[in-house]
Amino acid sequence: MANMLWLQGGACSGNTMSFLNAEEPSACDLVTDFGINVLWQPSLGMDMGENVQKLLRDCVSGAIPLDIFVFEGTVVNAPNGTGTWNRFAGRPMKDWVKELTAAAQFVVALGDCATWGGIPATAPNPSDSKGLQFLKKQHGGFLGANFKSKAGLPVINIPGCPAHPDWVTQVLVAVATGRAGELELDDLQRPKTFFKSFTQTGCTRNMHFAYKVSATEFGQRKGCLFYDLGCRGPMTHSPCNRILWNRQSSKTRAGMPCLGCTEPEFPFFDLAPGSVFKTQTMMGVPKELPEGVDKSAYIKLTAAAKSASPAWAEKDIFVI
Amino acid sequence: MATAVQTLDISPVGRVEGDLDVRVDIRDGVVVEAYTQAELFRGFEVILRDKDPQAGLVVTPRACGICGASHLTCAAWALDTAWQAEVPRNAILARNIGQLVESLQSMPRHHYGLFMIDMVNENYRHGKFYDEAVRRYAPFTGANYEIGVTVSGKPVEIYALFGGQWPHSSYMVPGGVMCAPTLSDVTRSWSILEYFRTNWLEPVWLGCSMERYEQIKSYDDFMTWLNERPEHANSDLGMYYRISEDIGLMKFGAGLGKYVSWGYIPHEDRYQHPTIDTRQQSVVMKGGVYDAKADKFHPMNQSFTRESTTHGWYDEGNNPVHPFNRTTKPMQSNDRDFNGAYTWCTEVAHEQLGRLEAGPLSRQLIAGGDLGEPWQHSDPFILDVYKKMGPSLWLRHFARMHEAVKVYRQIEHCLREFRLNEPFYIKPRERDGQGWGATEAMRGALAHWIEVKGGKISNYQIIAPTTWNVGPHDAQGGRGPIEEALVGTPIANPADPVEVGHVARSFDSCLVCTVHAHDAKSGKELARFRTA
Repeated sequence: MANMLWLQGGACSGNTMSFLNAEEPSACDLVTDFGINVLWQPSLGMDMGENVQKLLRDCVSGAIPLDIFVFEGTVVNAPNGTGTWNRFAGRPMKDWVKELTAAAQFVVALGDCATWGGIPATAPNPSDSKGLQFLKKQHGGFLGANFKSKAGLPVINIPGCPAHPDWVTQVLVAVATGRAGELELDDLQRPKTFFKSFTQTGCTRNMHFAYKVSATEFGQRKGCLFYDLGCRGPMTHSPCNRILWNRQSSKTRAGMPCLGCTEPEFPFFDLAPGSVFKTQTMMGVPKELPEGVDKSAYIKLTAAAKSASPAWAEKDIFVI
Repeated sequence: MATAVQTLDISPVGRVEGDLDVRVDIRDGVVVEAYTQAELFRGFEVILRDKDPQAGLVVTPRACGICGASHLTCAAWALDTAWQAEVPRNAILARNIGQLVESLQSMPRHHYGLFMIDMVNENYRHGKFYDEAVRRYAPFTGANYEIGVTVSGKPVEIYALFGGQWPHSSYMVPGGVMCAPTLSDVTRSWSILEYFRTNWLEPVWLGCSMERYEQIKSYDDFMTWLNERPEHANSDLGMYYRISEDIGLMKFGAGLGKYVSWGYIPHEDRYQHPTIDTRQQSVVMKGGVYDAKADKFHPMNQSFTRESTTHGWYDEGNNPVHPFNRTTKPMQSNDRDFNGAYTWCTEVAHEQLGRLEAGPLSRQLIAGGDLGEPWQHSDPFILDVYKKMGPSLWLRHFARMHEAVKVYRQIEHCLREFRLNEPFYIKPRERDGQGWGATEAMRGALAHWIEVKGGKISNYQIIAPTTWNVGPHDAQGGRGPIEEALVGTPIANPADPVEVGHVARSFDSCLVCTVHAHDAKSGKELARFRTA
């Protein structure tokens, strides 16, 4: 049995919508089978009005033990640090967030907005948005670099725009079954079990990546999306090709370049003209190389790969 | 005492693009005035200024996690018209299928997750169907709640096959789509669709075959169907009618009586060279305006759209402007002043016909109208019900439920029509220009306006269904659609005004209410309710 409270700040509700796609466990299973007691969730709760406000106050005071606080969306600070551009129940959401994070055993930042600031924090960041413990790559965010929840952990960051439902349901089950102590977090406070591997890990285009065969434009039946179409799969940490989306596919499998949405810089280059769906190159070499690969090694690898490339690699492979 | 005005501040009522608050004044147990207040500003239009022309494909689906495919649809068609792209037939179908499966997803998710849980409200505990409502619709544990919420994830599995994931893919791009589906993507989509039909749509939602349901063309046909077999009366559609009749949902929540739809689903053979001016005659589901008081239908055109910010927190003057002329300048201070500004939403209007309601009811009334092209879809059912029973929050949601079968049929059409050997993408040439893209999100009319200058976005404007519906009072003192629909709502228990929730949620203003009561004159809290 674990009490969970879930609120949304500067959010689109995309993580809630993604969460509702969950199976094994489904949102209902979490309640009926794993004893997650949903105190309140914007899409799932029945309580209204003063009930909710009393509940929030009781969570803050400790009258109701708050085991898990899930926050979706940015912490809006505009204008001038007041946060009134995002009011909730008659007061700035950021004030609720400050008090509830102090009361919670575990704090989960769900989705890019809550982890790093996401799309709303894209320049010029009109709403003065921050993530709970980061603003883009900068550690600190709304709660400060030293924040620890009552259980002694920093904010557990589950990034992604949106986060895959499994990434959050499995963490919730770990907490509910007393295994939260086994969660290992990386430098960006993401659970390593999901975010150590790359988006490219398991991508169906890996052979084309290896032989340097490019998908030069959309709608092709072959080729890697890294060389021309701006795919960030080799530089992005996520299990998108290990744990498939909607149980079926992934963006790179379907032909869409990875946008790097589990990394703090998303959207990359602040969407500057010329940067969307186009690989940034210098003298024909991608400016950003797969993680840990240096430029001269990359050039040698390219020459070797092209000379080794078999004839079939240039032909359609994802055929009808 | 009988004439005392009580004011309820309801904060938030729902979250569409953020929190929605509502203030209602109540006299003798009936709402006499209402103010809708959007309580979150993120500034997507501001973020998009000076960005890559394609930035809208990444940013705008993230404006709303519930309608991401709808935003992507608008963003892609807007760029197509600006860049004068050619969009191949397959790509039109692949975009349509994304829009349609998102809408189908929203059907059970909204019905069970957001709308029907109010039927379990204890205010209705003496109702004829209360025990059955609890059995079916109680959150998490209700039998049909669990089926419905779980099955709602199915249609978007089809989205993943074409777009990689739902929500928040950007697979629609100017010139087509990113994917090149295989036969097994199509056959798997059929299987998923079949699962949805045989596990929920027919046995749970309709209680009959789709074919039997499609015979319903009038109010009388519906009543015949309802009484024909117990399976019909006990289906979730039948149960919705019976509960609503029992607890009085057919008696309030009427609204402005003027309705708008952009129409949607561009025909795969009729919009391969998209332009702003030819869109309305190229969509399967026709758009238009219905003025119910005059019983007149009018064509709709984007050039009629006007936005004002009289009561919004924007420094943009008080004159109505076309979206291409908006500047999106948020005010720094957003104090609430019901005589001045009280919301982040604008007042959207038709330049001649005024404020309009968007949503499934609008679509279905227009589907029955004598306008549009002869080949476009038409359906007289909801218009007939409207004329027999009048408008109400019940009919607004009923029209939404009615769309499940026709959305399903359109998805079948897409899957049948793909020609897998033909292209899904034709690379367009990037250029400067103005563009417009529109669709119907599940909750109503959505459109994007884009202007590209010097290779970057100079202006990007979004008018969402929520912008139409949640808009505040206007300069003439007229109310916005939800505000108007709230007036006349009976409130049985001011401590728990579930009726306000019904009206708001019938517009698919999807989330929950927090309510506390205020004295109208002093603004101080009169009482704190439901503290138990």
